[in-house]
Amino acid sequence: MLREKIEKYLLDVQKPSRYIGGEMGSIVKNPEDTDVSFAFCFPDTYDIGMSHLGMKILYSLTNSRENYRCERVFAPLEDFEKIMRENDIPLYTLENLEPVKNFDFIGFTLQYELSYTNVLNMLDLAGVPIWQKDRGETLSPIVVAGGCCVCNGEPLADFFDIMILGEGEEVNLELMDLYLEHKKKGSSRQEFLRDASKIEGIYVPSLYTVNYNPDGTVNSISAEEGVPSVVRKRIISDMNNIYYPDNFVVPFSEIVHDRAVTEVLRGCIRGCRFCQAGFLYRPFREKSAESICRQSEALCENTGYDELSLASLSTSDHSDISEILSKLIDYTEKNKINLSLPSLRIDNFSEELLEKIKKVRKSGLTFAPEAGTQRLRDVINKNVTEEEIMNTCRISFEGGYTMVKLYFMMGLPTETDEDIIGIAELAGRIIDLFYSLPDRPKGKGVQVSISTATFVPKPFTPFEFEPQDTREMIEHKQKLLVDSIKTKKIKVSWHDPSVSLIEAVLARGDRRLSDVIYTAWKNGCKFDSWGEHFKFDVWIDSFKQCGLDPEFYACRKREYDEIMPWEHMDYYVSKEFLIRENKRAREFKTTPNCCEKCSACGVSKAVGGACFD
Amino acid sequence: MIDVRTVFEKKGRAKYISHLDLNRFMMRVFRRSGLPIWYTEGYNPHPYLNFALALSLGFESEYEIMDFSLTEGVSFGKIKKSLNDILPEGIKILYVMTPQHNIKDIAKSEYSVEYITDFPSELCGEIQKFLGSSEITVEKKTKKGVKSIDIKPDTEITDIQTSDGKLFFNIKLPAGTQTNLNPMLFTDAFWEFSEIKFEKGKICRKKILCADGELFR
Repeated sequence: MLREKIEKYLLDVQKPSRYIGGEMGSIVKNPEDTDVSFAFCFPDTYDIGMSHLGMKILYSLTNSRENYRCERVFAPLEDFEKIMRENDIPLYTLENLEPVKNFDFIGFTLQYELSYTNVLNMLDLAGVPIWQKDRGETLSPIVVAGGCCVCNGEPLADFFDIMILGEGEEVNLELMDLYLEHKKKGSSRQEFLRDASKIEGIYVPSLYTVNYNPDGTVNSISAEEGVPSVVRKRIISDMNNIYYPDNFVVPFSEIVHDRAVTEVLRGCIRGCRFCQAGFLYRPFREKSAESICRQSEALCENTGYDELSLASLSTSDHSDISEILSKLIDYTEKNKINLSLPSLRIDNFSEELLEKIKKVRKSGLTFAPEAGTQRLRDVINKNVTEEEIMNTCRISFEGGYTMVKLYFMMGLPTETDEDIIGIAELAGRIIDLFYSLPDRPKGKGVQVSISTATFVPKPFTPFEFEPQDTREMIEHKQKLLVDSIKTKKIKVSWHDPSVSLIEAVLARGDRRLSDVIYTAWKNGCKFDSWGEHFKFDVWIDSFKQCGLDPEFYACRKREYDEIMPWEHMDYYVSKEFLIRENKRAREFKTTPNCCEKCSACGVSKAVGGACFD
Repeated sequence: MIDVRTVFEKKGRAKYISHLDLNRFMMRVFRRSGLPIWYTEGYNPHPYLNFALALSLGFESEYEIMDFSLTEGVSFGKIKKSLNDILPEGIKILYVMTPQHNIKDIAKSEYSVEYITDFPSELCGEIQKFLGSSEITVEKKTKKGVKSIDIKPDTEITDIQTSDGKLFFNIKLPAGTQTNLNPMLFTDAFWEFSEIKFEKGKICRKKILCADGELFR
């Protein structure tokens, strides 16, 4: 039996409880009592995957259907992978400890490009053919992908049977329903895939052909007859009537985000031009204060968590945020629960709101000005002024905070040395502000941490046309920043620019990259998002072997009329809008947020009218 | 405030839960149970739980002790049911009682060891030979570093039995606030000694005992 085999080696690995399941809240169904099974794979470790909210939602949702079964799968770490390979232990699910290859669906959530090699590794560990074309006529297993990266899943097109665009709550079940019909009929894989491609939100890469120009750009993308030429993402229209779990699987070992989480809204009104999520998840939809509080209480009661967090792209944009916070604070104080609030924007951080938050936590504050000068903040449409940043810092310092963490990007379009020096100067002025305040925390120093990431241009943003800075340019800017800092009260950290280069290639890549990803994986790449596992040289060699140039994908400027590899994906946001926004960025012009004025991005089509009254 | 002692078992999948994780896990169980457990009164109040004796990762147990306090009286039967209704596969409350002994009274812990082997009687012979040695010297890691100790005087082996493909024995070792000897010290030393090689055994805590041999309650 597989379980005995696993247990034989489990004490030889780090944190074994993550490989054996049995956690509180896990849903174990008898395989014989269910009609369709779905192995939900997160292409990273248990500690990271178990923190992902989307997986929790879809896991509970699928299992809420009596005849459907969803089980969890994560990537094993090196120590356990070695044991699995040496002892023929196939990749298995945590609920029934059942081989993944037995499942009807094997689904991956693609949250970041650097997890792609893990997808291949997991398919290989599962004993499932990695290339879609090798899976033959048999109906199962159908290998599917969802998550934000499928907005351009082309680099993985040759590995997946299906990609699911947009929000999964409805379409996942529709897909499983259709599958059940075909399973009963005894259909082939191809028959099912063709039929599935007619469901809105379902993309079957093998039914599309891509032709290239001699210069390597895309010439045309054509769908087979009877298959939609454009695939449109799915949107949940009513946040209050959509399924939300009232229980989570509560892990034994500590994971990255080990707490109850309530989603408060989807989408974002802001339109920051670098932010893919801000465009992909439109339109802006709120959950009511009543739903949020009810769901939070149910989750805390059913999981026993003593920490609650609110999830969204921008929690403080909720129109009823004061009501939500005061109700939740009453509940959490009474029940000795810690409330933590990420994603609070600084420009509408009122004293009243801070007063309430102060009651619940006293760690550092984190802000993301993203750019060091007002000019560049206008280019990226981060509508935050220095006055607002300073004002928020003042309120925070007077409220007892002494640590400020600031996030910036490097390599933004139009960026000059002046903008980089501006980061250091902004941090310096925050320190000056601290010492100028008579009400500052006494007897304490101030600490400003600057964290910089290399800008990665992403599809479906106004910067999808932009080149990424080369490594040399980024290294120059990093050095400049360090040289511009004269005090130990400011600390700087940054990401490895070579990691960002690979991320940029995969983000805007085309189908030909399937070969590169395969070659990189074959040559030992996995866990690429982990600094200690990232093998830049192997990636570069893999590009060479496949005859492709990473800079063609990462560092090349696209013309507005170039056919993008994701041209057949429709996220409602129109290309005309993205071009308009790109031009405004070049003119240093900001765009008002969706609440203030509609910019006609195209998403109101989905709403069937204006997004806001 | 009412002090409560529970005895629980930890078996199956639950044996992979580390001691630290068990503590956090049990706090969540109590939060869910609705029992009026006493919370610590610090900056970060949490249910106060005390585990008398830590269990090594990978051991099963039929006798784990968890103490806590309630702010108001609840029948022992109700406490047991409230917790067992929530607890996952492998963890079960066996007894609920008023503490009779003090944690400091713990002197020994008894374990069963089970080996799966194709040569049970030969392995049995090996263990007899091993027990006949004049001393059993092992390396024990302490806070001050590794030191060599003879565990023979402190080791009591009883009930050696064989049955189809298995060898069992019981082992009693010092435990508690003063000295603690892990049965792995013995089993690892035996593995080194034995001419017949075998796979790692299954270890299960059976009892926690006071100095006079009485069961710790």
